[in-house]
Amino acid sequence: MRAERFLLASTFAAWLVPAPATGQISEQNRFYVQQMIERAAANDEQGVTATQRVLEQSPKPAPADPASARAALQRGVAALERNELEPALTAFRQAGQADPGNVEAASYLGLVYRKLDRLSDAESALQQALALEPARAVAWFQLAQVYGLQRDARRALGALANTYRFAQNPMRAEEILRNIAENEAADTLRNAALEALRLYRLPGEAVIVPPLPANPGIAPLNISPGSTRPRANRPPP
Amino acid sequence: MKSSLATLALAMLLACVRPADAAGQYESIDYYVQQMIVQGDADDATGVQTFREQLDNLRRPEPGDPAKARPFQQQGLEHLARGNLKDALAAFRQAFIADPADPKIAGQLGQTYLRLRRFKEAERLSVYALSLAPAQSAVWLTLGEVYGQTGDALRAGGAFANAYRFAEDPASVADQLRRLATGGDADALKAGAQKALRLGQPAADRKPAPPATPAPPSPTASTAPAPGPNPAPEAATPARADAGPAEKAAVAGSVLGSLRRGLAQLASRPGGANPTGSPPPAPNTDSPGQRIYRQGAALTCLIVTFRNGKTDNLGSGLLVSSDGLVLTNNHVIDKADNLAVRCGERESTARVRKRSKEPDLALLATSLAGGEAFALNETYSQDLIGRDVFVIGNPYGLEGTFSTGVISGLREIDGVRYIQISAPVSPGNSGGPVILRDGSVIGITAMGLKVGQNLNFAIASAEIIASGLFDPARMRSRPLGHDR
Repeated sequence: MRAERFLLASTFAAWLVPAPATGQISEQNRFYVQQMIERAAANDEQGVTATQRVLEQSPKPAPADPASARAALQRGVAALERNELEPALTAFRQAGQADPGNVEAASYLGLVYRKLDRLSDAESALQQALALEPARAVAWFQLAQVYGLQRDARRALGALANTYRFAQNPMRAEEILRNIAENEAADTLRNAALEALRLYRLPGEAVIVPPLPANPGIAPLNISPGSTRPRANRPPP
Repeated sequence: MKSSLATLALAMLLACVRPADAAGQYESIDYYVQQMIVQGDADDATGVQTFREQLDNLRRPEPGDPAKARPFQQQGLEHLARGNLKDALAAFRQAFIADPADPKIAGQLGQTYLRLRRFKEAERLSVYALSLAPAQSAVWLTLGEVYGQTGDALRAGGAFANAYRFAEDPASVADQLRRLATGGDADALKAGAQKALRLGQPAADRKPAPPATPAPPSPTASTAPAPGPNPAPEAATPARADAGPAEKAAVAGSVLGSLRRGLAQLASRPGGANPTGSPPPAPNTDSPGQRIYRQGAALTCLIVTFRNGKTDNLGSGLLVSSDGLVLTNNHVIDKADNLAVRCGERESTARVRKRSKEPDLALLATSLAGGEAFALNETYSQDLIGRDVFVIGNPYGLEGTFSTGVISGLREIDGVRYIQISAPVSPGNSGGPVILRDGSVIGITAMGLKVGQNLNFAIASAEIIASGLFDPARMRSRPLGHDR
């Protein structure tokens, strides 16, 4: 009850004081994204919807240079497809600077940061994407993965719950949740997926023996650290 | 007629007010599918058609990536044909996630859930598949079986009636319904199939169903897909676990394929029993290592420990009694709040029955009863040195890793008898079996020297037999002599 009153007050405050239309996500919007996560984990549908509305109605930053943003985004996607993470990161950053309201750029930036294991940056970028488009299921799913890696069970649950809530195809999302609940090696994300299924009263089975990591630290012997190219064959020492 | 008009009016009304949220989307399609079942059960063709049209008019989900889905679907069909249900589930899941708009894939996923006896999931996937293509006879059959298995004869009858209604080859579906009516293992399943068969007859011929007489058991009975508009292809060939006893046996055998092969191998040993009752296998041309692996992999366990609700430690163990006792090292389970084991394809929670620090042993009770178990070799003499040994375990979580070596020496450390082996072992191997050529266990992997190479140690089985953990009434031991 206290939380609802607080949310209501925050909502009014947000209407009265519009968020600044800058490139960076405002602390206020970050707060609302966190509220959506918290409300979802608490299965408070009205709370999620109310906060979503606040975010949707907050002013969006105007693009500085949409054409160069589009070009940078394309470069980033191409680099990502080649698994060239650093060039992709640079391109998505440029896209975000040229068009701070570009949700694709923010979302991709979050993905690349996560792949680079820069989890705090990934969280920030994905929060920005969600502040721009709070019903973006893919960004919620990525954020859930980030929280899973950070071992933040509560937030992983909230983000997964929102993934399902905003999924275009809920049956597909349901199956993805079941897949994670049964096959994900990381405890936090696996347990969060099972909790999310239970939150929505969807069927799912808890595993008896948790899945093992597919790759328990195996690295190719002929690849030097930081390189994606095999070294020339050398005789063993 | 009056009821059909009322149905139509209701359907039109509902078409205008559909909830749109995630849960609401399923509720909408479920409503229409349930109405088709009710109308099917009432033999109301107009009502069925009305709600079918409602489903047809629903907005279709965004198409996925059929090219990505197809290889997974093919894998799923192959696994299903071999009875590898868990693998089939994994493959169909990937196919479904890649292309959730394909009604066949959704139906096949639902059918796989049915075979795994996960009825809630089977129902949801089948309902969804019918929302994509409401005239899939095979999916109606699956849904009917789900309801039959969960004791809902009424809905089973309605779903089966629709399977018959939409069948491209009604004779084939009637055949399947007859098999379910006589050979099904649930009363509601039989009743539903009988009702559908009665509805399928011309009105003049309808009479109460005769008492069920068992149909000759057939591995393909009730599982052959209806060659309807969207037949589920080879997927349905093997016997279902929810079919008759003979089919159940066939499925159990194929699901535990590797275990069965292992048992057959055990049975082929001199003096070995034939626990499966299957004919003796063809002459064995496998290497000793292959033979040992096939015998031992299903009896070697992965042990997972949990602490504060999270996975804490991994280790190995071995089944040592037919009532599911698993032996491992104490240090594997030392700090655990909870335990789980997987031996072959079977899984169970576990609890500590006995443990000792010296020797470093623990005996776990599991629910994995009714299978084979390792015999411990009681020998501890110089005669062992130089003999081949085979190690199975889960080093660093690499499940079922097999390595070989020889017995390098006998060592007594702090009063405990160890066997020194040259087979490579790593963290995660602890508690796993060290096996001789005759399939008996000569020790369990316990530790290794960090310096040097392949200087590893297993607690000798002789030590285990002498410890308070060994129960001769439940566990087997034998002397050296069978080693080949």
